[in-house]
Amino acid sequence: MSKVPESGTSAGRAGTSAVGELPTARQALLAGLGVLFWGWLIVRWSYDRLVAPSVNVTDREPFVPAGPLEGVADALSTVATDLGALGTPIGWLAWAFETAALGVRNLPALAEGALITVQLTVVSILCGLVIAVPLAVARVYGGPVTRWTALAYTELIRGTPLLAQLFVLWFGLSLGPPVRGLPGVGGPLPSAAVVVAMIGFTINSSAYQSEYIRSALTGVDAGQLTAARAIGLGKLAGIRHVVLPQALRFAIPGWTNEFIYLIKYSSLAAFITVPELFRRARDIGADTFRFTDIYAVIAVFYLAFVLTTAAAMRHFEDRTAIPGLN
Amino acid sequence: MDAVAVETAAILVPDLLGWVPLQTGGDWMFVWENRRFLLLGTAVTILLTLASVGLGFLLGLPAGAIEAYGDGRLQSVVSTVGVALRGTPIVVLIVLFFFGLPIPRQLGSIPVLDVRMSGFLAATLALGLRSAAYQSQVFRGTIQSVGEGQLKAARSLGLSKPAAIRHVVLPQALRRSVPGFQNEFTIVLKDTSVVFAIGLAELLRRGYQLFTQPGRQGAIIEVILAISLIYFVLTFTTNRLLDLLDHHYAIPGGES
Amino acid sequence: MTLLAFDGVTKHYGEELVLDAVSFELDRSEVEVIIGPSGSGKSTLLRCVNRLAEVDNGTIRFDGEPIGDTDADELRRQVGMVFQDFNLFAHRTALGNVTLGLRRVRGFSKEEARERARRELEQVGLGAQLDSYPAELSGGQKQRVGIARALAMDPELLLFDEPTSALDPELIGEVLAVMRELADDGMTMLCVTHELGFARSVADRLTFLEAGAIVERGDPERLFTDPRSDRTAEYLSRLTGEY
Repeated sequence: MSKVPESGTSAGRAGTSAVGELPTARQALLAGLGVLFWGWLIVRWSYDRLVAPSVNVTDREPFVPAGPLEGVADALSTVATDLGALGTPIGWLAWAFETAALGVRNLPALAEGALITVQLTVVSILCGLVIAVPLAVARVYGGPVTRWTALAYTELIRGTPLLAQLFVLWFGLSLGPPVRGLPGVGGPLPSAAVVVAMIGFTINSSAYQSEYIRSALTGVDAGQLTAARAIGLGKLAGIRHVVLPQALRFAIPGWTNEFIYLIKYSSLAAFITVPELFRRARDIGADTFRFTDIYAVIAVFYLAFVLTTAAAMRHFEDRTAIPGLN
Repeated sequence: MDAVAVETAAILVPDLLGWVPLQTGGDWMFVWENRRFLLLGTAVTILLTLASVGLGFLLGLPAGAIEAYGDGRLQSVVSTVGVALRGTPIVVLIVLFFFGLPIPRQLGSIPVLDVRMSGFLAATLALGLRSAAYQSQVFRGTIQSVGEGQLKAARSLGLSKPAAIRHVVLPQALRRSVPGFQNEFTIVLKDTSVVFAIGLAELLRRGYQLFTQPGRQGAIIEVILAISLIYFVLTFTTNRLLDLLDHHYAIPGGES
Repeated sequence: MTLLAFDGVTKHYGEELVLDAVSFELDRSEVEVIIGPSGSGKSTLLRCVNRLAEVDNGTIRFDGEPIGDTDADELRRQVGMVFQDFNLFAHRTALGNVTLGLRRVRGFSKEEARERARRELEQVGLGAQLDSYPAELSGGQKQRVGIARALAMDPELLLFDEPTSALDPELIGEVLAVMRELADDGMTMLCVTHELGFARSVADRLTFLEAGAIVERGDPERLFTDPRSDRTAEYLSRLTGEY
């Protein structure tokens, strides 16, 4: 058997936990905030679709008025100015309230961007998984040709930047117009740019996911497949019913990392005109000239997505755990 | 093939040929004529990568040691900052640092490379600090994998705790860190393309500038494929070089 | 009457000769024990029977048909195998280990499979461990699940590849008791094992294999008391001396 050389390391984008653990005291507080965040998002998305579907995104009103926050900010900055040099910390506090007010005023638009961020991430990670599983199986169990093809695919994708890949699809292949012509795009389905971004993220993520699944597959004892074949299961059936159920469990931590990376990298869709969270923030910044403030606000959004996803995946891992496997 | 499929193919094929503009040699000539322009962009990409990975190492190693050995306040602060840096998209970090930090705009440009110093600094800080946050995880993991026994043995010889970490634990941990570091290095390399967001003239931005020139739309795919190839060669070379480093420093019998 | 027949079977791994012109016949309902030093080709011989390994030369006939002519998966359904390291499906309970083949190979419905698997597990004394995962079972229990898993396929021949070698001494008895019961019920069995007591009291045939070739084969009692080959005598005395 020829050994396939690796040009990357066995890990995907990162060898360790993608986010890491916060000190325990902060975790309970964050759990509450996480529930509040998702509760608000779901209510907001439902309200804008079911109760007031005809209102323009930019004309929507936040559930909570921004006025009081602005009042506090004004008062604080007056105090800060009066105190002179001593007032600097109070000035920072005033800035925090101003930023919060800016965020609250733009919550409806940010919620709309967040919806696309969520759609991009969830659709791409799942479609990527569908490609990644056969890709990983091909890498581990395939003949020389399938093995090399799968290796070439993963190494080419993992060796080039995601943004360059999006540019190939959007500018290079001009996928926009043909995708726009597909039935349902822009109607019940998302707009053409969103679909092209999903294609790009799916391809990219499939390569990284297959790497995690591949190393999980090699972690399954060879005797498992032998035993499956000994009771009369074919090779593919043995992989499907015996090896993969174990390997996919081993792959959950790596898969969680990839999920979190994708949440963050979905922001790059902004550069092919997708109005997701980051692009919404950029537009708000261009309107208000308060780039730093609005970017700070969406940093909090992304952190909320990342931390709640990490917590949910830990829960999922516990739920699917089997004694002796891990 | 059934009749419907043939018919569909007959309709689709001319369309496909129409929008895949991959036929003329002239567009590749255009890439070749601009090779100097693109190579300067490659230099910016390399410079930005080295500066960011270097900054990440200088901050990430002590941060990893603090996370592994520290206690109380300091460790809590380091790990919280780490979570924030790892939980925010790199593009958001870059624009936040670019717009939010008081970097003087009149620092001028880096000669030859045609890159504004202020943008370069903001990008290096964003990429470098985030890389530090990831590198700290690599180093924390390998430091913990060295084990308490080594530290105890060193302390029993009379070494102080910092000296024991410095002379016994770190040399072993650093060797084991090469694969994780390798991974992180290539991530930074690929993510330098995200400074596209602040218009820094690195490789991807220069490619964009080329194909958005009036009348050059035909060369889009050639330009992007060319720069993708450069990125691929860079990541591939980086991986090979760090593989060599890994083999060179491997300890017989030691876990890698 | 002959169920399994080896005729001049030769097998190499690379340059190394692991089976050297092996010929023998095994009748239905007979129990054959193969002994021999490690590396003598015992496991390879078993694996050739269910085509987990392919022979280089010679023929193996199962129920009169050369096994190369039958579909490997169909052959494996009829020839069960029990492994030294159990190889239980780690992600499935004891019951799930047995139902997998019933569902995916024999096409049982979910209910039929559960019912049949429960009976098989009760048969080997594991009625109380149906929902335990492999990691929660003792070695002896694991091996009994392995036997139940093989039996559920209704095999005509069972292969045992050192079924007690990975067990603590106090757990060996429970597995041998199950094997003895199977033999009494008329199961045809081909066993590689170092359990000489089992060989002497249960086996119909004993084969001594060395360097890939059969040195001596015959009635177990005769091999113990009156071996024809010095090599057999030496190997048996060393083994009995050890135990």
